[in-house]
Amino acid sequence: MKKSRFPLGVTVLVLIFFYLPIIILVINSFNAARFSSSWQGFTLDWYARLFHSPEIWLSVRNTLIIALGSTAVSLVLGTAAAFALHRYAGSRLQQAHYTLIYTPLVVPEILMGISLLMAFVAAGTGLGLFTIFLAHVTFCVSYVAMVVLARLQDFDFQLIEAAQDLGASWWQSTRKVLLPLLLPGLAAGGLLAFTLSVDDFVITFFVAGPGSTTLPLRIYSMIKYGNPPMINALSTLLLAVTLTAVIASQRLARLKR
Amino acid sequence: MNRNKRRRRLQEWLISLPTLFWLALFIVVPTLLVFAIAFRPANPYGGIGPGWTLDTIRGLWNPGYLVIAWRTVWISFVTTALCILLALPTGYFIARAPEKWRNRLLMLVIVPFWTSFLVRVFAWKSLLHPEGLIKKTLEAIGLAGSQATLLYHPAAVVLVMVYTFLPFTILPIYAAAEKFDFRLIEAARDLGARPLQAFRKVFLPGIRRGLLTAVLVVFIPALGSYIIPDLVGGPASEMLGNKIAQRVFVDRNLPHAAALSAVLILAVLAPLIAVLILQRKKGKADIIIGEAP
Amino acid sequence: MKKPAIPESRSPSLGAGLSLLLLLLTLVFAGGCGPSRPVLSVYTWADYFKPELLKRFERENGCRVVIDTFESNEAMYAKLKAGAAGYDILTPTSYMVSVMFDQDMLLRLDRGRLPNISHVDPEFLKITIDKAMDHSVPYMLVNSGIAYLEGRVKDVRPTWNMFDRTDLKARMTMFNDMRESIGAALKSLGYSINTVDEKELLEAEAVLLRWKKNLAKFDNEQYKFGLASGEFLLVHAWNGDVFQVRKENPDVRFFIPEEGTIISCDDLVIPKSARQPGLAHALINFLHDPKVAAENSNFIYYLCPNKDAYPLLNAEIRQNPGIFMAPAIMARSEIIANIGGANALYIKVWDRVKGGN
Repeated sequence: MKKSRFPLGVTVLVLIFFYLPIIILVINSFNAARFSSSWQGFTLDWYARLFHSPEIWLSVRNTLIIALGSTAVSLVLGTAAAFALHRYAGSRLQQAHYTLIYTPLVVPEILMGISLLMAFVAAGTGLGLFTIFLAHVTFCVSYVAMVVLARLQDFDFQLIEAAQDLGASWWQSTRKVLLPLLLPGLAAGGLLAFTLSVDDFVITFFVAGPGSTTLPLRIYSMIKYGNPPMINALSTLLLAVTLTAVIASQRLARLKR
Repeated sequence: MNRNKRRRRLQEWLISLPTLFWLALFIVVPTLLVFAIAFRPANPYGGIGPGWTLDTIRGLWNPGYLVIAWRTVWISFVTTALCILLALPTGYFIARAPEKWRNRLLMLVIVPFWTSFLVRVFAWKSLLHPEGLIKKTLEAIGLAGSQATLLYHPAAVVLVMVYTFLPFTILPIYAAAEKFDFRLIEAARDLGARPLQAFRKVFLPGIRRGLLTAVLVVFIPALGSYIIPDLVGGPASEMLGNKIAQRVFVDRNLPHAAALSAVLILAVLAPLIAVLILQRKKGKADIIIGEAP
Repeated sequence: MKKPAIPESRSPSLGAGLSLLLLLLTLVFAGGCGPSRPVLSVYTWADYFKPELLKRFERENGCRVVIDTFESNEAMYAKLKAGAAGYDILTPTSYMVSVMFDQDMLLRLDRGRLPNISHVDPEFLKITIDKAMDHSVPYMLVNSGIAYLEGRVKDVRPTWNMFDRTDLKARMTMFNDMRESIGAALKSLGYSINTVDEKELLEAEAVLLRWKKNLAKFDNEQYKFGLASGEFLLVHAWNGDVFQVRKENPDVRFFIPEEGTIISCDDLVIPKSARQPGLAHALINFLHDPKVAAENSNFIYYLCPNKDAYPLLNAEIRQNPGIFMAPAIMARSEIIANIGGANALYIKVWDRVKGGN
């Protein structure tokens, strides 16, 4: 049967489509030209300016504080939720629970942002790092729950029963059997939550207050107020950081095997 | 037995309570609040006025809003269609690729989405700049005049939206295609079906769940998008999300913003409920989850 | 941007996660070390202070100055009303100052801590609302006008009707600012920018809808770099912004339309929710030291109404018709006033302009 070249062609085009803007962005971050329309020489000047920019460091710090905090809390809440959904699957409570957890995954961010803003305004709480943190936990919980749930669904509970048959207590079997095997799922969920929190813009935009600028908000501000080369440099750095993390983890995963 | 049942019930409630409470507080209550605020008047100095009124809702019946609503649905629809058209061959190709290529290809698809969303939109702004690479190329081959611009046009919005949502369309289609038994296609071909026929009548229904997830995962966020039209769209590309943001951040008319948001919530719920009804009819659970990750 | 769950087999493992975590924790705490100085939080227009002056203020007062920017008075007001407390200094335009004063959002200024306000130009105080500088001190005068790229725009005439030019279609912008853009349309028709006559406003609306067809977008922030980079060829602009960006692209030109324009005076105010009122007063006082005011104006190309700073201004500013307007045009120009409840009329017009096709 003759295989059509069409899917291959489309895939190649799609990949070029994906990478073209990014490659140009990276190239332009070294472009000395002020308005990247022509190449005017290689420079690291924009990167230097980034490092000397206190607002950017401040926003990086805010972003990390919120991301770490919301990852931690959403891991705990999300794992508990995953347990409930798996263990008691099918009950009416869990069906409602599932719908509730599923909602943030499908609702456009602007709706979550505006509803949270109105809630905070109605409650009279000032907007700031704390409100951003609350908002981030809210959407991270769902992602963590889904990832851990998937892992639980693949989990063979007979292992726990076997451990208990061999005399282990509930706590021991959880600590020594369940958690270690669940750990990769927890790590995946945690990492996902962290990534989402670091990159969130729309929801953060709605509930941020003075002095609580996060990195995405700072980037948006930079896009609006000009200085494209610095944004190119910042984006390249962010890309490099994430790529390094991904490659490092792949290597580590391979080592573990 | 009864006491065990009750204990189990208690355990279930205890472990579900934290998330139930959190989500009730931060999702259910705020959503109800949005609907409630839609029924209150706006205070001219920004703020929510006293009492209840239908005026805010009536204010929605404005021909300008109908234009924006239609435009929002239309742009989302075109984006979804383009994404599916591009994702189908790609997902098919990756699913049929040899094992070691598959992971690499998926990595290639996912890596761009590891960059910041704003950065990707900005990258397109630079690419589509009137003095930028693409425009200069088009000028050189005579397809564009020097005064023309590629930005600030609904087409630019659709382009960047397709760019943003395409990875999320490829993944569920790939996931479904991976589980699909390709021998069915060979069988169909053996029975005399032409390639396109086999594709349409065997493959597409076979990956139905993935297809549905892919559609939902583009269409719904597209309806609510506002950053993309804000950064690369012009005055003729304003979408519902922009209007909501404008009401909140510029006009400070919260009741109006709430009313528009309520409309968007209903617009988003409609496809979801349609899918739920479909699934209940067919008796399939988990159709929205698609493939378990 | 929402992302669906990444299939687990493609996500990093525990080891990577932990090492990343460790790295981040170090970053966070390393960044936070050191004695913390009080932070003065300023909410203002973009590029509105000479950075070296703020650094000097930080050194002299042992504090840190953090700047957040807004794109329009209405946006700033909306953010404050939404509960964004903690800004110590704002620079709204005077018409917005009077709205905020009516809403009891401003702190009464302690004149004892502001000896330098004696330098403020008394001629200017004659036409402001808060003549006694009770809750606001004038900061900078802003003239709106039109900026364009020399050589790319043919046959330039100094009129608001340049926005009718279809040969510049999709390469022009106007302000995403209700009072400024409606004001420009009103001026092109010969009406007052503070009119409350509905008929005049409807005529202005028709003009704006006509101009809108030629616009790339309504914008307050990206227009100046857009102009310098060639993205736009002709923009609705604030004079200081234009002269700042001229340093990047010397082809940028500015004119004030002959029909007259909109003058804004941005004031320094302290909101009631300010956390550092003492430092805020110190900054206001600092900015009106004549040498500081002149240095600031020389850099940002806006005019500070500080009479003792005028002699210290660079010649290029004193002779600049975009900053010191010709008397004939000045006579036809107006300051944006607070029109109270009639604002609702303007909002309706603006809505229809932005929403209509």
